[in-house]
Amino acid sequence: MSAGGSDGTADRPADLAADGECPEQAGSSLPAAELPRKRKGDVEERSGTHGQQSVDFQMDDDLSRSEGEDQQVKMKCFREPHRQIEKRRRDKMNTLIDELAAMIPACQPMARKLDKLTVLRKAVQHLKALKVGTGSAFTDTTSKPSILSHDDLKHLLLRVGTHAVDGFLLVVSCDRAKILFISESVSKILNLSRLELTGQSLFDFIHPKDINKVKEQLSSSEYPRQCLIDAATGVQVQVDAPARPPLLSTGARRSFFCRLKHSRVVGKQDKHFLPCTSKKKDSSRYCTLHCTGYMRSCPSSQLDSECDGEMESSDLSCLVTVCRLLTPVSHQPPKELTIRPSEFVTRWAIDGKFTFVEQQATTIIGYLPQEVLGTSCYEYFHQDDLLHLADKHRQVLRSKEKIETRCYKFKTKYGSYVSLQSQWFSFTNPWTKEVEFIVSSNQVISRGPGHTKDEEAGNSKALQEDTKQIPIIPGLSSGLGTMIYAGSIGTQIANELMDSYSRMNSSPSSGACSPFGPAQEKCPVVSPLTSTSASSREEASGSSSQSQCDSRTAAGASSATSESLAAVSRININPIQGETSQLDLDLVPGLSSFSSDEAAMAVIMSLLETDVNMGQSGDFEDLHWPF
Amino acid sequence: MKADKEKRRMISRDAARRRRRVESEVFAELSRLLPLQQSVQDHLDKPSVIRLTLSYIRMHTLLKGITGKKAEASHAVKCEQVMESGEEWRGCDRGRDDEEKKTDDVEASEETNMFLRILEGFLIVLSTEGDMIYLSDNVSKYMGLTQTELMGHNIFEFTHPCDHEEIRNNLRLTAEEVWCGAKRDFVMRIKGALTHRGRSSNLKSATWKVLHCQGRAKVCVAPSSVSCLLLTCQPLPLSHTLLSTHTFTSQHSMDMRFTYCDQRITLLLGYSTEELLGRSIYDLCHTLDTNCLTKNHLNLCLKSQSVSGQYRMLVRGGGYVWVESHSAVIPSVRPSKSRPGAHQPLCILCVTYVLSGVEEPSLQLSLDQTVHRYLR
Repeated sequence: MSAGGSDGTADRPADLAADGECPEQAGSSLPAAELPRKRKGDVEERSGTHGQQSVDFQMDDDLSRSEGEDQQVKMKCFREPHRQIEKRRRDKMNTLIDELAAMIPACQPMARKLDKLTVLRKAVQHLKALKVGTGSAFTDTTSKPSILSHDDLKHLLLRVGTHAVDGFLLVVSCDRAKILFISESVSKILNLSRLELTGQSLFDFIHPKDINKVKEQLSSSEYPRQCLIDAATGVQVQVDAPARPPLLSTGARRSFFCRLKHSRVVGKQDKHFLPCTSKKKDSSRYCTLHCTGYMRSCPSSQLDSECDGEMESSDLSCLVTVCRLLTPVSHQPPKELTIRPSEFVTRWAIDGKFTFVEQQATTIIGYLPQEVLGTSCYEYFHQDDLLHLADKHRQVLRSKEKIETRCYKFKTKYGSYVSLQSQWFSFTNPWTKEVEFIVSSNQVISRGPGHTKDEEAGNSKALQEDTKQIPIIPGLSSGLGTMIYAGSIGTQIANELMDSYSRMNSSPSSGACSPFGPAQEKCPVVSPLTSTSASSREEASGSSSQSQCDSRTAAGASSATSESLAAVSRININPIQGETSQLDLDLVPGLSSFSSDEAAMAVIMSLLETDVNMGQSGDFEDLHWPF
Repeated sequence: MKADKEKRRMISRDAARRRRRVESEVFAELSRLLPLQQSVQDHLDKPSVIRLTLSYIRMHTLLKGITGKKAEASHAVKCEQVMESGEEWRGCDRGRDDEEKKTDDVEASEETNMFLRILEGFLIVLSTEGDMIYLSDNVSKYMGLTQTELMGHNIFEFTHPCDHEEIRNNLRLTAEEVWCGAKRDFVMRIKGALTHRGRSSNLKSATWKVLHCQGRAKVCVAPSSVSCLLLTCQPLPLSHTLLSTHTFTSQHSMDMRFTYCDQRITLLLGYSTEELLGRSIYDLCHTLDTNCLTKNHLNLCLKSQSVSGQYRMLVRGGGYVWVESHSAVIPSVRPSKSRPGAHQPLCILCVTYVLSGVEEPSLQLSLDQTVHRYLR
């Protein structure tokens, strides 16, 4: 009998060795659960509540019977009465029965609640009726029964309207990229039927610039380099071509992206569509696909029904891939500039110097991006707005939220002003939690005085003429004396920020305060770490990542990751709403749950323990060909 | 008196025993009806039988809703005919006989098997509450647990608690999405009870496995309103046996500054490997893609692996290319056997695929591009 048998473990086998481990530790990142085992008449025990909310691996009875030791330990720690276990088991069963009753039409209209046995009996009847209707009747008894018929599974995976995968299966021969097999689902993706495609050369449908890339992927081990990434170090390792015969490179994995033509007419087959053989510039539309798969050799007779006259009995090398459509990017390509002519996006360093200017800006401010890059935005602000914008600048560096400016004037290339309003957002590096740059989304409110249509037309003409000129340095030519020093405003604000970083970092116990607001949750912040990272930061503004890494290592193992992870948890970024939906910084919402020590520990453990997936070449020996 | 009491107790015990026996028989009958192998059927405990029955019914309802009235009609007709004759159900089924259907089924099975194998992932159907209504049977290859062990359970029992909120957000269906078949694409951590060699092990020694989940949310209105999420879940492989000329690998410190880059980047983007060291990837990309990169970075910090989706990297001298990166956090130093639990500094390894040619080559959007231009 088990040692701790008084609390309901009486029915369990006796081989329970109690170790003093607290279940909390055992349970935190390594879930303890077991495969369901049938135990007739056995009391099914439930693992007790551990008292840790964030890491709750509570499972229902049949999976929660842990290995002897854990269970025993849990019992010891919590001494749960037998009654409660029983009760929970009954409740669980009742819930299941209720769910079952809800799903069975025959049980539906009943006013009173049905008893367990009746529900079960009705379930039996229902299943019998369902089985008759489904395909299981015509699969012979030798074939493996499965929950879904294969046809149904295919529906879920691939078929139009229901599919999980926007993709298709493709088999091409390696020598001439002949499409040997392509699944039906291609019709939804490329608007081309399976019939049209089978037997054609894949190269006729690939974007001309990707042809070489695909050729490379189709080539077998004649390709000089085989590059593997060493899982342990991440270093690329060159592997000499294997000693096998060139054709049989079965199992070699391929992964690449390519663009395939698709027919313009949705739903209908484009009768005039022919594989592109003309030399004209191809104006077809393309969609980008991610193709992953394996090389495979197979007997050519099985595949190639139309022989070219030469009956090749040798094996044909081919590539079997799943081609999956990439989730389309919401941003429109720049050619379609007309979407929002009155908006543009810029990026500045923390001192206000432009580091990125979208091309649309030119139509609004007159300058080409290269003319303003590197200059401070303060040089373009009107004198009257300087104070308000400097204040907003300070604000945005310290806030995690989007800051909206009031309407302000921005100097265009021609000396006139355009009224803008902007939303500024400071980007904080998720790891270092330091502000790296500010993104500014700018809208035109109204044109400045004197901007008539004619003038605009004149401006655009002048613009074309001006592109060859030396860039105008704003501020110096405007004649307003204060503007010369405008650039320094930004630098000053940036310096304030840097000072506040070093001040914060050098204080002995900065506690849980981030520079960006009050501590929101209790976080396992360790301050000695931040001081060492600050010092490395102060060494050189372009401090190499190596020193940062070192300082982190030096300061202490898990505290490094936990501090940064805790920092991540304090980032509470609100998505930017508003017209520029492209700037929807809608980040992983799981952060707010990241509030306890245990959760942080769990993540650290996971970082160290996670199975970094090293793909192995699959074993496809028994793969049946569908043709 | 006592004898009476005893007798009553005995009667009630007998009655209870009889009830239990009857109940067990019904359970056994139910489990036999489940389309599972006999060996599996015999070993199911009662809650599992109900779980699997529920799954079976739910999947049936879902598929009926998906495949539409045609299927329903043929099912109904078959049903009737069987009731009447008990044998035949030919003729109303689009004129196809059993043999044809059988071949179709076999063909479908081969295709889906091949598809799932090549995709290197499994299919999961989730209810809006997170119940795993269905999983394709190859799930055992990735999670170490079989289809029958998992079906009917809730996904939150198997995924990392820090990912729960994200999963919940993905399960939610807004009104507009209902009609558009909303797409889903996210990364989550799931328990994997597999050893490194791929053999099933105990859940007690389970580790977290990172899965890339893609699919769509689906709503069926008839016969009964059911909405669910159809997803394929793939582990993210890191080794690439053939890296083409259109990919490059890079290593970064955890703040995404380059610490190493292979030479192919020079051909593809124009930068020399030296000038990239210490630069942040955020500086090299189009501002509008900041959110995409941030999400990628966060996934790496939290889950250790990520797929970035498409974003633009600026080309030295002007223009940009569309790329996609597959990244993972790895120890930057070979883990030493002598100190197994000791902390290793981490770094990020990225494999970046270039998807397009250089677009807008004359367009200079960022400071880096102009500086290089003027210096040269």
